[in-house]
Amino acid sequence: MTSPFVDAFAEYGPGAQAVLPGSGQAWLDQARRAQLDAFVHDGLPGPRNEAWKYTALRALAQRAFQSGDGGALTREVDPEILQLRGVDGPRLVFVHGVFRPDLSHLDKLADGLSLQPLSQALVNDAEPLRFLLTRGWDRPADAFARLNAALAGDGMVLRVAEGMRIDAPVHLVHVGTPTENDLAWHARNLVELGEAASLHLVEHHVGTAAHRNLSTQMGDIVLRANAELEWTVLQEAGEGAVLMRREGLRLEAGAKARLHALELGGGTVRHELEAELRGNGARLDTRGVFVPCARQHLETRLDIRHMAKNTSSDALWRGVADQRGRGVFHGAITVAEGADGADAALSNKNLLLSPHAEIDTQPVLEIYADEVMASHGATVGQLDETALFYLRSRGLSVKQARTLLTAAFCRAALTDMDGSSLREDLEARIQARLPGDETAA
Amino acid sequence: MTAERTDITATLRDNAEVAEALSRRYGAGFITDIETDSLPAGLNEDIVRALSALKEEPAWMTEWRLDAYRHWLTMPMPHWAKLKIAPIDFQAISYYAAPKNRPKSLDDVDPKLIEAYDKLGVPLHERARLAGVAVDAVFDSVSVGTTFRKELAEAGVIFCSMSEAIKEHPELVREYLGTVVPTGDNYFAALNSAVFSDGSFVFIPKGVRCPMELSTYFRINAGHTGQFERTLIIAEDGASVSYLEGCTAPMRDENQLHAAVVELVTLEKASIKYSTVQNWYPGDENGVGGIYNFVTKRGDCRGDDSKISWTQVETGSAVTWKYPSCVLRGDRSVGEFYSVALTNNMQQADTGTKMVHVGKDTRSKIISKGISAGRSSNAYRGLVKVEKGAEGARNYTQCDSLLIGKRCGAHTYPYMEVKNPSAIVEHEATTSKISDDQMFYCRSRGLDEENAVSMIVDGFCKQVFRELPMEFAVEAKKLLEVSLEGAVG
Repeated sequence: MTSPFVDAFAEYGPGAQAVLPGSGQAWLDQARRAQLDAFVHDGLPGPRNEAWKYTALRALAQRAFQSGDGGALTREVDPEILQLRGVDGPRLVFVHGVFRPDLSHLDKLADGLSLQPLSQALVNDAEPLRFLLTRGWDRPADAFARLNAALAGDGMVLRVAEGMRIDAPVHLVHVGTPTENDLAWHARNLVELGEAASLHLVEHHVGTAAHRNLSTQMGDIVLRANAELEWTVLQEAGEGAVLMRREGLRLEAGAKARLHALELGGGTVRHELEAELRGNGARLDTRGVFVPCARQHLETRLDIRHMAKNTSSDALWRGVADQRGRGVFHGAITVAEGADGADAALSNKNLLLSPHAEIDTQPVLEIYADEVMASHGATVGQLDETALFYLRSRGLSVKQARTLLTAAFCRAALTDMDGSSLREDLEARIQARLPGDETAA
Repeated sequence: MTAERTDITATLRDNAEVAEALSRRYGAGFITDIETDSLPAGLNEDIVRALSALKEEPAWMTEWRLDAYRHWLTMPMPHWAKLKIAPIDFQAISYYAAPKNRPKSLDDVDPKLIEAYDKLGVPLHERARLAGVAVDAVFDSVSVGTTFRKELAEAGVIFCSMSEAIKEHPELVREYLGTVVPTGDNYFAALNSAVFSDGSFVFIPKGVRCPMELSTYFRINAGHTGQFERTLIIAEDGASVSYLEGCTAPMRDENQLHAAVVELVTLEKASIKYSTVQNWYPGDENGVGGIYNFVTKRGDCRGDDSKISWTQVETGSAVTWKYPSCVLRGDRSVGEFYSVALTNNMQQADTGTKMVHVGKDTRSKIISKGISAGRSSNAYRGLVKVEKGAEGARNYTQCDSLLIGKRCGAHTYPYMEVKNPSAIVEHEATTSKISDDQMFYCRSRGLDEENAVSMIVDGFCKQVFRELPMEFAVEAKKLLEVSLEGAVG
């Protein structure tokens, strides 16, 4: 499947691979080469590929990207944009997928927390990462995962030792900035929480300004028995950026994970979360908000698999689409045979604010066990007229009333978040993103 | 959950009656021994021509079929649904099988045929009069007799077989055939367009409310045949009709193909209510044999204020793959879909609906109830699409699945695509098994397990059953009981 997009990777990919951290190790070189070959062979998924039904890649296929940024270490980044209220623990900053020691704080690590860039881990001792880094993807729908496996040389490697509770949140930042040529960069994050360990991870995607670069990011997160992860994702990529993220989350017996995700920035953004509840009693809560405006295309795909007994999952996602924005949500819950006692719920509510905006939502249930409680709901609509009327009768302007209700609608996804200062910061960021009031006039 | 409650389920499984019911045979699985006149197996342009010639069709119809056939050749068999389907050899199917002694009127109908319909409970003769239902019975591939022809004619209603309609009302057929489901719409619709043998044609003229409920009974009888019927129902301005369709097939080891196309058209202020009770042979408990039921059903609400309502009770077929749909083109038009789909043993169903909102203030409602038992797989797949201009569109969807047994699957795949900010689209779905609390309550009131399950399932399906016409509601309820009893546990 040839296109300018694929051709550029076919031509420059092998050269970029040769200088990646960790190259020279036979198993890694081989895995990277195989994934690049597979990508070049199948190309990008077309519109008839069910997984890409609502995200067209035609325009992207016509663009050629330069692989890797040689100047990543010296790009100007205002440290101010890295700040989040209530997040003052260790910080790892990557610019265009390259670790920036000057912007990171790794000095006062808590006991039991091991945190280092992947580029370092590959040089020091790559062997423990072999299992995750040699994973291959065999479907053409996995084009960006293949690209990432072929070309990612840096990212975060985080481990929490057994039984350790890490209090200060770990702050991971990926920064994209404008460049001379269209640039493609990749990052790979690996997280493992030992038995009964706990951690708060704050993942932050930020753009210094509008740009048209492509980034692929893959994450593997493993929670051993009874581990607990509090996970916050704030996506504020630069306007126009193409961002393809995928995380694999594995929960062993009694493990608990809770995600709060804000999808605010970027041009074409797709986030896939593949969660496997593999141990008895594992629990996953996901909450999120996506707010596509202007010409943004924001897609969220959840694939939650209940594979053991008495597992539970709860998903609550809100979307607000305005102007020419398009929000896509796919939320699949699978209960495997034998996963008795599963309790799964998913809700996706959306507000459509403009005649040019679009929401496509697809909640999916696949149930193969009978001792199950599973439900999902999805709605697309507008603000409640009676609520608007009530607020106006209390003296608020149409604009104020609408803004207030829209913000409250989004905030529902953050209500159960711990740490009030970070939550307030996030709420303010949503508020700033929310449309003003073109429709009310 | 307490151990005691688990015991109830276990008892259910071990119950001897249940075991007996499990092995109950398919009630409608008899073969009627009458001579049939069929075309040799195989499919090519000559077969299509021969079929058309056998039916004495005009040249435009033959050409229409050939166009569809040529288009079909260019299409691949779709595989996107979550279905396990043994490859179909389209060359091994006979595309036409007619009872040999072609009847001139109802009185000439082969008594064996009448007997067959009696066994099925089709109210063909006096029973029809009693029930007040006009029946068009399609046996294998041709329509054998239409009752109540005269009474309907007085009201101006045309109710006849498709072959007759092509001969006697070609202008109507030409105007409407293939306008809702184009010949190239999908693989099986293209195949049907090329080789459809018969079906029903209904035309309700302006302002007429059809005086009685119309009904068709389909039965596949001969081996190695496919049934490809084509139904076209047109309701002109202000007209209304309620149409019922029932299906059965005898037991056979090989998979038989049923690929029908149903097209509904409603003009201004017209309404069509289309009800189906489908009980094709589902195959045996190991999944041998059974009907492949691949049907394209679509209604087009062309006029303002028109309404199309689909109600289906699907208990049969080895594989059911169909999505009765509504295109809501007229302003304020209404689409409805009520469905009960039950799968047992190795049955697979992938069914649902599509509601496409084009006109302003259009409304649609979807109520789908899936029951899976045995090792079956039951999926709801639906699309609600609100186009840009569909100001004020409203949809409500509710899909519930009930699981009976450890090895079955129940799936829900709704798609919602909304392009208009004044639209309201809502979808809700739940999946669960019959709760132990419900069972315990019913048992404490003196019901045995079988009756308790049956009562709970009946309640589960009530929203759909109450949409069915009276006679069908009774039949559907019974059918469900029979199909289900065997599955408890």
